[in-house]
Amino acid sequence: MSGEVTTDLIIRAEHLTLRFGGVVSLRDVSIDMRRGEILAVIGPNGAGKTSLFNSLSGVYQPQEGSITFMAHDATALSVIGKKAHQIAQAGVSRTFQASRLFSALSVFENIKIGAESHRGIGLVGALVKGPGTRRGDHQSDEVVIDLLTFVGLTREANLIASQLSYGARRRLEIARALATEPEVILLDEPAAGTNPSEKLELANLIRRVRDERGVSVLLIEHDMKLVMSLAERLYVLNFGSVIAEGSPEEVRANPVVIDAYLGSSHEETKA
Amino acid sequence: MGFEHFWLSGFDQIHTAFWTYLAVGLQNGAVYAMIAVGYTLVYGVLGLINFAHGEVFMCGGFAGVFLTRGILGDRVGTGWGSVGLVLAGIIVGGLVSALVATGVEQVAYRPLRRRHAPKLAFLISAIGASYFIQTLAGKEFGYGVNIFPGEVFEPGQVMFTLFGTPIHTIAVVSIVAAIVMLVVADRIVRATRLGRGIRAVSQDAETSALMGVNIDRTITITFILGGALAGAAGFLYSLQSGIVQNAGTEIGIYAFTAAVLGGIGNLRGAALGGLFIGLFGSFSVPFAFEGNVQWTEIYTFLILVLVLIIRPTGILGEKSGRTA
Amino acid sequence: MFSPANLKRLFMILIIVGVVAVMTGTPGSSSAPPTTGVHGSFLERVSWFGLFVAPRWLLFLTFGVIIWLVVSLYRPRARMIRRRVDTVFALPKAFTAKKSTRVALMVLALVVVLVLPKFVHESFWMYLIVEQIGVYVLLALGLNVVVGFAGLLDLGFAAFYAIGAYTTAWLTGALPAPALFHHPIPILWVIPIGIAAAMVFGVLLGTPTLRLRGDYLAIVTLGFALIIDDFVETQSGVTGGGVGSSLISHPALDLGFWHYRWGISPTPYYYLCLLFIVVFIVVFTSLEHSRIGRAWVAIREDEVAAESVGINPLKYKVMAFAVGAASGGFGGVMSAGLVGIINPALFTYQVSVNVLVLVIFGGMGSIWGVALGACVIQAVTSYLDNYQPWGYQINDLYMYIGALLIIMMIFRPAGLLPSRRRAREFAAAKGDEQVHTDEVLTGDQP
Repeated sequence: MSGEVTTDLIIRAEHLTLRFGGVVSLRDVSIDMRRGEILAVIGPNGAGKTSLFNSLSGVYQPQEGSITFMAHDATALSVIGKKAHQIAQAGVSRTFQASRLFSALSVFENIKIGAESHRGIGLVGALVKGPGTRRGDHQSDEVVIDLLTFVGLTREANLIASQLSYGARRRLEIARALATEPEVILLDEPAAGTNPSEKLELANLIRRVRDERGVSVLLIEHDMKLVMSLAERLYVLNFGSVIAEGSPEEVRANPVVIDAYLGSSHEETKA
Repeated sequence: MGFEHFWLSGFDQIHTAFWTYLAVGLQNGAVYAMIAVGYTLVYGVLGLINFAHGEVFMCGGFAGVFLTRGILGDRVGTGWGSVGLVLAGIIVGGLVSALVATGVEQVAYRPLRRRHAPKLAFLISAIGASYFIQTLAGKEFGYGVNIFPGEVFEPGQVMFTLFGTPIHTIAVVSIVAAIVMLVVADRIVRATRLGRGIRAVSQDAETSALMGVNIDRTITITFILGGALAGAAGFLYSLQSGIVQNAGTEIGIYAFTAAVLGGIGNLRGAALGGLFIGLFGSFSVPFAFEGNVQWTEIYTFLILVLVLIIRPTGILGEKSGRTA
Repeated sequence: MFSPANLKRLFMILIIVGVVAVMTGTPGSSSAPPTTGVHGSFLERVSWFGLFVAPRWLLFLTFGVIIWLVVSLYRPRARMIRRRVDTVFALPKAFTAKKSTRVALMVLALVVVLVLPKFVHESFWMYLIVEQIGVYVLLALGLNVVVGFAGLLDLGFAAFYAIGAYTTAWLTGALPAPALFHHPIPILWVIPIGIAAAMVFGVLLGTPTLRLRGDYLAIVTLGFALIIDDFVETQSGVTGGGVGSSLISHPALDLGFWHYRWGISPTPYYYLCLLFIVVFIVVFTSLEHSRIGRAWVAIREDEVAAESVGINPLKYKVMAFAVGAASGGFGGVMSAGLVGIINPALFTYQVSVNVLVLVIFGGMGSIWGVALGACVIQAVTSYLDNYQPWGYQINDLYMYIGALLIIMMIFRPAGLLPSRRRAREFAAAKGDEQVHTDEVLTGDQP
């Protein structure tokens, strides 16, 4: 790892290059994320945002570069080479662009699976249902109830996930991702497909995730209004490279960014 | 018998009878290649392994065999008659197999596609179809009884000698026929509108549908094409080894190994894979412990298991397909 | 009535009827011309209800036409009929909704099962019940964990059965390889060792292969099953080769203060088997509702999502293999002890698929469904094998099994007694209407 490790960095990705056959998805991408911030990654379609996410969460393995996750207890984890579930257990959670809920399970169960799976389990423990297991079970239940309240899904707790409204599903995904008690959460287009009032709710929720739970947030979004109001700092990707970085105002005024977006919809650059 | 001795004697055997092993390997390989192409094509458009494909092969084999037996009776084929018989066997075998394959598609797969069933359901349905066809064949034609197509060629007829090794006509005919059919299949998939449809659906079914490709028809045609090849292979196989009702299971696995080895979804890969598996099987015969026939099977299955575990995308690489 | 669509329906019905005619008809043979079987199936003259004699094709044609007439005349009312049928099918679910009803049913079942031997007089049938039904219930319960809970298609499950049986044989000196104990089998040792051996094998087999996805896993397990099949046959020196062993002695229990020796009579085996079935049902039910059970559901539903919340799919899949193997292995121990004979023919691919059929028919993921399904199918199979109605022949079974699998996947993939979760999964896929759970906030009881 090059350079100084500043204590308020939570993720440092350096010189990531990701190739698929002949296509280069990420080209020498370096991203720093500070603890406690709401950081956004934007860019035209196909810029490599989801590839970046997938690299950070262990779904893809970049051929070059390094990713380090610095947990609050000062341990540093090299993400590349680890499996997705190991990264999740270490404290990096994520949601998906196309909602990946356990659709035949209830809302409660969806979150509960998140709550209990980041603790270790034992086969014997599960069978014997001793006091230790029971206590753990109650703890998980409490975590779930707490999260249901947090995202506002208490009434829907017993519904099957597939019947939720779109906005509710997005909130459920966030709740499930929070159930593993992460330090940083990666939100992949959390507002995609939601209507304006749902978007507002989501924006508030995301802010509360950081403010009330102390979870750092990294998000991808296409909705510029949402991003500009939520994010404190932005990275802009285009064609797999970082083309700009800064505060919303800086990025909005950056001619390189405007140029990149003029290739896609003109309206999107108006915040 | 020491370990070293075992290996040395094995290689020695290969050395003395090299051309025979080669010919047998190519002959078997031709058959496996044709069946493997069927697996690979269906995998491309449906995203799953057609468990019943081995049975399709078997049915075509029986059809061809019964035809030539019926025509020949006690006589022996000679000259152009033999050629005609081979052609007839291949065509009839191919037709019957194509029919069976279509039947499987309509009965075991299509209803599930309509219901958006999970993949597991397709697999189970395929296993059911495989069981059904195999047992029905056994009931009608006998269990465990190997049937030959009659003397299509003079028994033991040799076409030419290569370095002192006799190369039998059956071998040459099988290999040539297989090559021709594989090339035709390759052309169809690469150069015709039909083939473009198959490739389009293999890559992205949704978009293909939006572009006007009739998914149902494309899938049916894929099954027909794969089935025809398998049926022809069935007849060719029967020329050498006869056909039996459970031939589909074992040969099916060999062919599947070939398809995976070559990269599932990749037609040329499947053909080359078939070739390799045929040769491998043949050259592994001298290495069977105590002459137990099962060892060839064990070695081939080991390859399958190893390929799947170590490099499931195959040697030539998987051409990914989405489910239709 | 004679519209093209309806005529097409007639055509389809006639084809189906024709196929059934051939399925239930006379067999061909290798020495006869290929169409003998079909000829016989259609041209054979049979008596209609003892009234008069006519060729089968006429019989089946009439059936076909009658069915078609019924279907076409009632088509307009089809929806109503389907609704009635659905209500009938929903009755069991509604009936068993209350926990008290379910408990009562379980107690009833227990009583029936405990008392059963009193009503079975011939030891032949008792033997059949243990060997064909009891053992297979154990196997089905085990495979249910693998296929039903964890969603892994294992086509080589019979291997665990084989390991249990061969371990038993080996431990009691019935194999050419030297052994540890001699007659009779001290049950206290053989059972746990047999189960442990199967579980270890499950872990060994699972660890490299369970990374593969669905269809590939199926093929790999099939490949392994065939490899082992072949290998066992070649190693006569160790395993007795293709012949196997017929020397396994019956188990005995020696607790110091109490001795018991299982002998030829199948009834004591019945109770031993029953005991373990109950134990496994309890254990598996407990697992199902534990965090492991939930992790299995998550992996089955969406493995990527499961990983994203920290679930290690490989660990849980291997666990499922091992757990399922335990039941399968015990079935093997049971079988070896009772029958005293083992050989590779008992553990073929066909056996594995048989067990799979039991699980699917009963309801993947539903413990009681699988147990019931196993009983039903095995009972029917035994009946067919022993009474051979309508010219039925032993191998025909697999035709019916094959057809059953296809039909079940199309019409009732969730099985006979579906687990509620699975039924929901299939319904969700079809895009059905609202399905509410009736779970309480603090727990789940699917």
